[in-house]
Amino acid sequence: QVSVLYFARSAELAGLRCETLSVPREITSLQLWEEIVKVHPRLALIRDQVVFAVRQEYVLLGDQLLVLEPGDEVAIIPPISGG
Amino acid sequence: MEESEDVPKDFIELKSEKLSVDEVSELVVSPYCGAVSLFIGTTRNNFEGKKVIHLEYEAYSSMAETEIKKICRDVRQKWPSVKHIAVHHRLGVVPITEASVIIAVSSPHRAESLEAVMYCINTLKASVPIWKKEIYEDEYSWKENKECFWANSEK
Repeated sequence: QVSVLYFARSAELAGLRCETLSVPREITSLQLWEEIVKVHPRLALIRDQVVFAVRQEYVLLGDQLLVLEPGDEVAIIPPISGG
Repeated sequence: MEESEDVPKDFIELKSEKLSVDEVSELVVSPYCGAVSLFIGTTRNNFEGKKVIHLEYEAYSSMAETEIKKICRDVRQKWPSVKHIAVHHRLGVVPITEASVIIAVSSPHRAESLEAVMYCINTLKASVPIWKKEIYEDEYSWKENKECFWANSEK
């Protein structure tokens, strides 16, 4: 079970900022994205513009294998615009 | 604290209150430094012909602070003479002309602090998880920094 955090446009599309999700312990970042889109189909709109932050490290959507621990934070990161 | 103990410090803050240039520059002033360089990011009132009413910022706060700390660490590697670094970023609603970010760096001589400030703001725009929403009269837009490598070019 991981904590999924939604920000900016992804929070608007998902309709919430934070939830717990049950996912396999080992999963590629792309598979993780697909699990999340199953719950929030409107997120598919921004698929080409997001990255993840897993335990506060950026991860691209792709083949990278993640090893997740219970309670890990996974954040959806739309294009940033700080400063 | 004794003057001889002027240990280099990073001052990082994300807050919803109005930012103060005086406060941020005073944080980095040091008797060992002859230069304090500052960058202030302010809110423009227009974008592509549309009138901007105000900006709204949100952040992944814990990760944003961590990323800013990484930037400070990089600054100290590239410019070892840099003394103190302060980065204050505002969250929530920022009215036109008010500051959304203030960066201040002190160093003994001016070249290092000037270069470090530029590096800080450029890298912040590329790597810190903070988002800006521009509010126009009848719509809004989530902005995307061109420095962000996972953004597509604007439609």
